[in-house]
Amino acid sequence: MTRFIVFRCLAAVLTVWLASMVVFAMVRAAPGDIIEMMMGQMGSSEGEAALRRFFGLDQPVYVQYFDWLGRVVTGDFGSSWRQGSPVLELVINAFTVSFELALLVLIVSSLIGVPLGLLAGYRAGSAVDTIIQAFNVLFLATPVFWLALMLLFGVSTFFYWSPPTIYVSPLRSLGDNLVILAMPMASLAFLQIAAYAQFVRQHVVQALQQDYVRALKARGVPARTILGKHVLRNILVPLITFMGLIFIQILGGVVVIESLFGLPGLGRLLVNALYARDFPVVQGALVMVLISAIAINLLVDILYRAIDPRLRS
Amino acid sequence: MSETFDTNRRRLLKSVAAIPLLSLLGMSLTGVSAQAAAADLVYGASDPAAKQGGSLTVGSLIEPPSFDIYHQAGEAVNFVAPLMYQTLVYADHDGNPHPLLAESWEINEDASVYTFTLRSGVTFHTGQPFEAADVKYSLDYMRNAENGTIGALDFADIDTVEAIDPLTVRVTLKQPNSAFLITLTHRNGSIIPRDWYAGENARARLNSTSVGTGPFRLVEFVQNSYMRLERNQDYWQPGLPYLDEIVVNFIPNSAGMLVAVRNGRVDMAVLVRPQDAEQLEGVGGLTVQRSRSLNQKSLDLDSEYGPLKDERVRQAIALLIDKQAVMQAAISGYGQVLGTTVPGLQERWGVPLGELPNQTVDVDRAKALLAEAGHPDGIDIELRTIIGYDWMEPAALTLVEQLAKGGVRVAIQRLDLGTWLQNFRARQMGFTLNDWGTPPDPNILYYRHFHKKPQGADFRNWANDEASTLLDEGRQALAYEDRKAIYDRFQKLLAESVPTVMMFGADHIVVVSDTVKNHAMHPIGWHFGLVKTWVDK
Amino acid sequence: MTAQFASMIARRPALTMGMALALAIAVVALLPGLFAPQPPNAIDVGRALLPPSAEHWFGTDHVGRDVYARVVHGARVTLGIVAGSLALSALFGGVAGTIAGYLRGWSDLFSGQLVEVILSFPPIFLGVMITGIIGSNVANLMLALSIVYLPLFFRAARSAAMVESARPYVEAAQVLGAGEGRILFRHLLPNVLPAVLTQYIILFPLALQIQAALGFLGLGVQPPTPDWGASLQESKDYVLYASWTAIFPGLALVVSSLAVILIGRGLQSRT
Repeated sequence: MTRFIVFRCLAAVLTVWLASMVVFAMVRAAPGDIIEMMMGQMGSSEGEAALRRFFGLDQPVYVQYFDWLGRVVTGDFGSSWRQGSPVLELVINAFTVSFELALLVLIVSSLIGVPLGLLAGYRAGSAVDTIIQAFNVLFLATPVFWLALMLLFGVSTFFYWSPPTIYVSPLRSLGDNLVILAMPMASLAFLQIAAYAQFVRQHVVQALQQDYVRALKARGVPARTILGKHVLRNILVPLITFMGLIFIQILGGVVVIESLFGLPGLGRLLVNALYARDFPVVQGALVMVLISAIAINLLVDILYRAIDPRLRS
Repeated sequence: MSETFDTNRRRLLKSVAAIPLLSLLGMSLTGVSAQAAAADLVYGASDPAAKQGGSLTVGSLIEPPSFDIYHQAGEAVNFVAPLMYQTLVYADHDGNPHPLLAESWEINEDASVYTFTLRSGVTFHTGQPFEAADVKYSLDYMRNAENGTIGALDFADIDTVEAIDPLTVRVTLKQPNSAFLITLTHRNGSIIPRDWYAGENARARLNSTSVGTGPFRLVEFVQNSYMRLERNQDYWQPGLPYLDEIVVNFIPNSAGMLVAVRNGRVDMAVLVRPQDAEQLEGVGGLTVQRSRSLNQKSLDLDSEYGPLKDERVRQAIALLIDKQAVMQAAISGYGQVLGTTVPGLQERWGVPLGELPNQTVDVDRAKALLAEAGHPDGIDIELRTIIGYDWMEPAALTLVEQLAKGGVRVAIQRLDLGTWLQNFRARQMGFTLNDWGTPPDPNILYYRHFHKKPQGADFRNWANDEASTLLDEGRQALAYEDRKAIYDRFQKLLAESVPTVMMFGADHIVVVSDTVKNHAMHPIGWHFGLVKTWVDK
Repeated sequence: MTAQFASMIARRPALTMGMALALAIAVVALLPGLFAPQPPNAIDVGRALLPPSAEHWFGTDHVGRDVYARVVHGARVTLGIVAGSLALSALFGGVAGTIAGYLRGWSDLFSGQLVEVILSFPPIFLGVMITGIIGSNVANLMLALSIVYLPLFFRAARSAAMVESARPYVEAAQVLGAGEGRILFRHLLPNVLPAVLTQYIILFPLALQIQAALGFLGLGVQPPTPDWGASLQESKDYVLYASWTAIFPGLALVVSSLAVILIGRGLQSRT
């Protein structure tokens, strides 16, 4: 087990390192740079050169990369070129917003999606199953940002309500925070509820066909016990893997709708920094995304092994 | 996230005002004193009924990248910077200069030496007193291109800045410039405490604190979210500002902004798409304010780009454009069709459109000109637009149709702002839509853009000797009549040779809640008006 | 014939519905002119933002273009981009995966690591990064999408190839002296194909969502090309007072995804 964890961690580090090179090379390949965005249309060439020196942009790309890498290894992601504030602080602040939203979606959708899936699976073939399946297919096919747009339009038009536009941290006021996040959360949750319900249903149907479940049924064990005690425990392992996958997917969805709701999350940070060619922030944000995605996968792998003894050998 | 940035950094203030003001055209250039009437024009009209206090939330589609005001260009910064940073001179809604940090000034006979007497008893947000040495430091720092400043070219004319005594500053120019006072009213002329940039981490610190002399100070700036300004308790103008607090909320898209306005999440919003105003017209509790601007939406033609090298091709393109239709498509007609100057300057400086060549559609002549230029089958050309500028796409689509009628086949190419700016500054703008504004003076509007190199930037590679001579004469002439005659000739040349087609200027559209009182948008589109705005909540 | 058809519908309703929808969409995508004779790019500023009517079934957009015509003509653009880029990544990912799965060793390790790097980016981030940097147009969008989905085809093909190469007939072919290329292309590829095709159907709706999301973020095709995601990007600012400009392109996306998802489920479940 320890060997496995060490090996996986090493592989993860290697991946992050390779990916950081890809990120760096791509960011530098972008046409235009921050100098243009700062100087606008009227800058002088001396001023341009001065700023280029200031940001180290006059150095060859590989020098810039190793310089950056050297500092990143010690935990220094540099400062935003636009604002001078530490990249790490900007990225962590933004990440917290995206992460909280993603976590909310994960919780809400598993709380609703898993029971729906259990119900549909247990009653496979019934009218309830058909309705739940129709719901699943429909929301799996619906783009998250479009649903968000429709919610914003519908609620604003018919209920004269829209989320407050200034983000409030949950630490300052949890109530205000949840009011702000309610609509973005709802737009993301439908898809994930459908994903959960479908996933769980499929596993329940499979489990119910297995001999031990049939035996339990024959012995007259109540349906609730079979589902809760036996079936659910059996699908727990794949469910955890699935949660990891879904969490990364939710993070992606969060990014697309952040601009729509004006949330100061990672997606908006990234898109704005990309637009402004604020390279340290772009690099920092992407590396953060990478690390979190890889960490989640790693965590899932380890959990998977911890829960399922068969995989330990 | 449309951002109307200005091409001309020396944007000042002037135009036909949204609210009627005294005509001060007869005022002489020298010795303006701070009389009550004139003081009333600084930051708009005062309101005797105003109540002190209260907070105002402003929705903004654009967000300042940073408040490092000496190194960061952009309309998003211009928008709010004047609330925190002040200049020596202020230009009112009509474009007349008024004393701000300078109490008065004297100008020598040929407008090459400007001597300013500074206001006493003014302090910076840092607590330091405001003195001549600060003015010298600020102007010297800004005009030194080696510092990477954005306004170096604006002040390239300055020869020396001398602090004669703590309250007197003398600026000597390399050549006469009758528009220098107006140049100083741009935020590039903002005064900061001496040696500020020599301090440690000075650039970054400007994002958490402000160091100007303005009526508001910066207390909080959260990227991608909001910024908060608080009333400057030590402000030098008695009784001002009225508000205790201004919160600017950055909302990244029009849909979110409209919802926020309609549901009372913000008290005021500047709309970049005037169409949205129509949707809010009937909504209770809201007022839509519309006023004339100093900006222009234009079509630029690089005179060294492909078929555009031939003047006849450029003329043919001009002859195919129905500006009214383009404006209708782009901004639902909420603006003014232009000839050769911006809306706010048309009355005082513009040549009537009827007297300019190439202003009315003539497809037959356009075709004939193209054939003459060796393109009997028409031409293919790429039209560039900038991502994030909402008006450009419908305008470009309309132009595609209009130009096709004369055999000019256009393909649209969307560029991101960074790439576009790179092309622009490298003088490879090609055939592109552009969006820029100007301070209310023809010298500032035309010189940089249309004077041949090296004195001007000549972004469009026009290299026109006659035009350059006229621009030199215009800069040195003092009397209004002389200047007007010179700029009339220049404008006719501009319309004849077509390095640019100024299509239309968009009006400023501001939606305010009924609790917001005494707000007037300055023609330049910056939030000067908030100094005298108050809320009745 | 009719009876057979009816029984098929009864046995596999999802598959039949999906196929019927997909067929209809394919016909529309191939022959848009037949369904919407109006040109999708003809602007008429005087008739901007008109609600749906007999003349304009889906209303008009902010420059007076017929939304119905744009949705119909957008089918080819949007679905074409998704189908094309997925085909590209299926081709390259499939071939590379088959080779890696057969040869193993260093080439496998190397390409595996490369794939791992791409996979470590959530798709939308990768898409935003690629199109945001190299610029947005049809070619770049397709490039971005095919890079995003290449690893998944690689993985599917690799594991299928590993299973196949363990079979006796491959060993037999090796013993008989068949070249590696011959084994790869004559024996392995045809057997890997079903795995790749399955992957294609699973990924299609996902890729469609990413394509639309990129268009929505303004990183899609150049105007005035009618594309559903790009249409939504344009119309999001008008959704409050001209909801039809956003509703219909979105519905088109939903229906197309739905068709493919139904086919996928129909193929999966034998019940």
